[in-house]
This record gives sequence, C-alpha cells and structure tokens, in this order.
Amino acid sequence: MNGDKDLDAALAAMLSDPGCSAVFEVLHEFVDEQLGGGDPAGSNPGVAAHLLSCAACREDYLGLIEAAEKFGDEEPGAAPE
Amino acid sequence: MDAPAPSVPDRAFTSVRDAGVSSGRRSTAMMGAQTSLSHAVDLDAVSAAWVDGLRASGNAHEECVAALHAVLLRVARHEVARRAGSLQLRGPELEDVAQQATDDALMAIRAKVVGFRGESRFTTWAFKFVMFEVSTKMGRHFWRERRASWDEETWEQLPALVESPETHGEQRELFAALRRAIDHDLTTLQRRVFVAIALNEVPMDAFARDLGVSRNAVYKTLFDARRKLRVSLLAAGYARPYSVSGT
Repeated sequence: MNGDKDLDAALAAMLSDPGCSAVFEVLHEFVDEQLGGGDPAGSNPGVAAHLLSCAACREDYLGLIEAAEKFGDEEPGAAPE
Repeated sequence: MDAPAPSVPDRAFTSVRDAGVSSGRRSTAMMGAQTSLSHAVDLDAVSAAWVDGLRASGNAHEECVAALHAVLLRVARHEVARRAGSLQLRGPELEDVAQQATDDALMAIRAKVVGFRGESRFTTWAFKFVMFEVSTKMGRHFWRERRASWDEETWEQLPALVESPETHGEQRELFAALRRAIDHDLTTLQRRVFVAIALNEVPMDAFARDLGVSRNAVYKTLFDARRKLRVSLLAAGYARPYSVSGT
C-alpha cells in the first residue's frame, strides 16, 4: 500500500455489493452483455461494484472476457486436440 | 494494487469503471443486487449443439464431452499463462494446473448443464467454471513463494509507512488513524483478513484455502472490516477517509 489511491482501493466496500457467490451466478451474462455492446454495469451495478472491490472475481471476469472473445465460437464438431 | 492486468484491453473494464461505482454514489437501483440479468431465451445454434450433445447418450455424448474437454483445456492453458506472472510458475506446473482445472471444470459443467437456461452463450457459461478452477488451483501455489510470517511482516510495514519521509503530514495522520482503527476496531479474524488481502495482496483463494472456507466467506469478512475502518476513520474526522488528496 503506497498512498491515497491504494488506500482508496483497500477500503472499497459498496453496500450494493452482492458478494462473490452471487456474482459468479451471473458473471457469464455480464460478460456476454458487455461483449455484445451492452451496458452490464449500468443494468447490474451491484456486480460492477463487486468487480471493483474484489480482486479475485475481477481476475475471473478479465479472464472470462478474454476467453469468451478468443474461444467463444468453438463448436462441438471441432476435432479435439 | 488491485489494478486490472495490463495485458487485458482497457475496453474490457470500461463499462465497470463508467458505472460510477467507485465514486461512492448510491441509488435505489444499486441497492438491490440482481441475481439474474435476463430470463431464459432460446439457445443459439452453437449453444444448442453443446447442450444437446451433453444431454445425449452413447457416442454422441462421449464425442461432445471429448470436444468440450479439448476446448476447456485450451481456455485453461490460456488463462494459466495469463496469470502465470503473479506466481512465477513454470511450464510443467502451469500444465498441471491447466489439466486439473479442465477436469474439475468439466465435471462441474456436466453436473450443472441441466440448469443452463441460455442466459448467455453456452461457452461463456462453461468458461466461467474454468476461471474459477484456475483461480482456486493457482491459489494453492501462492504460499510456496511467501514466507509463513507474512502477516507479521506486513503488520510491521504499516508503522514504517506512517514514519516514511515520503509520507507527508496529512497522509501520515491518516495512516496513523488507520493503524489505530485496525488495532482497536477489528476482530482478530477481520484484522487477519484485512492485513493479508487488502494490505499484503494475498490472493483471496489462497487465503480461503488456508482458512478452509469459501472465497465468498473471506470476502464477507473483508467487506465488514472495510466498512468498520471507513466508519472509524470518518469518526476520527476524515470526511473522505479513503482518499485525503485523490479525486
């Protein structure tokens, strides 16, 4: 922790934050809405608040965004590696 | 701390930042956490093919499972590589994490696919299990790189920060007040969680594994600690306790 900005993050705790379990339940919807050009943070600010406060779920979210973009169109007919 | 990974495109995080949740404003809409973003819709063709294959029997089912395993493994390898820098893991260890995460994610997906309602593409839904499993498995490796005395070590850093020549007057007073609040206002568990995760950046999953509880349970404790500290700092005269000179 090096200063104001870090302290700001260290103490982030929004009342709208639903917690990790609730966010996991809808994370796929949040990500697809974002990739589809929607505004998931606007329609579900509680999830957005959590992703700002929880480093673990934020990493999952960032990874899922990347994976859905890169591998999301894979079909079952594709030959296994 | 807690910054998005540099390799991730900025736009991936834009809508979260733009929601204004970091500004501290609250609205009626923000108070109620939704548990579903939409109702079930008709599946797209690709998602339907995956779901039909997983719900089928015989060869069709086995072929679909094999194909899904292959896709999940590619996703897991990609994700493990994305996160590898934070844990200094190497080739064989990364592959081991990817393989285990794939197997466990596939097991979860097969168990839960009956409840998949098409709120998103099937692949996005399935990949989130990979993210969770990779996160959990990588948490196991965290402690190998850290000394067991991490919490004492970190606790010693706070007074050093307060007394650092680079910490100016108002900041120094704020950190001193924070230290007092951590000392006096948090429970033992809240103090341990806050110091580990918020100050020392121990991954939530590594800490949860250490305690033998879920990520959600650790986060709830962290959340309560943060709220207490904000209240304490406010009572100590810091109108904006989490940023004395920032925006």
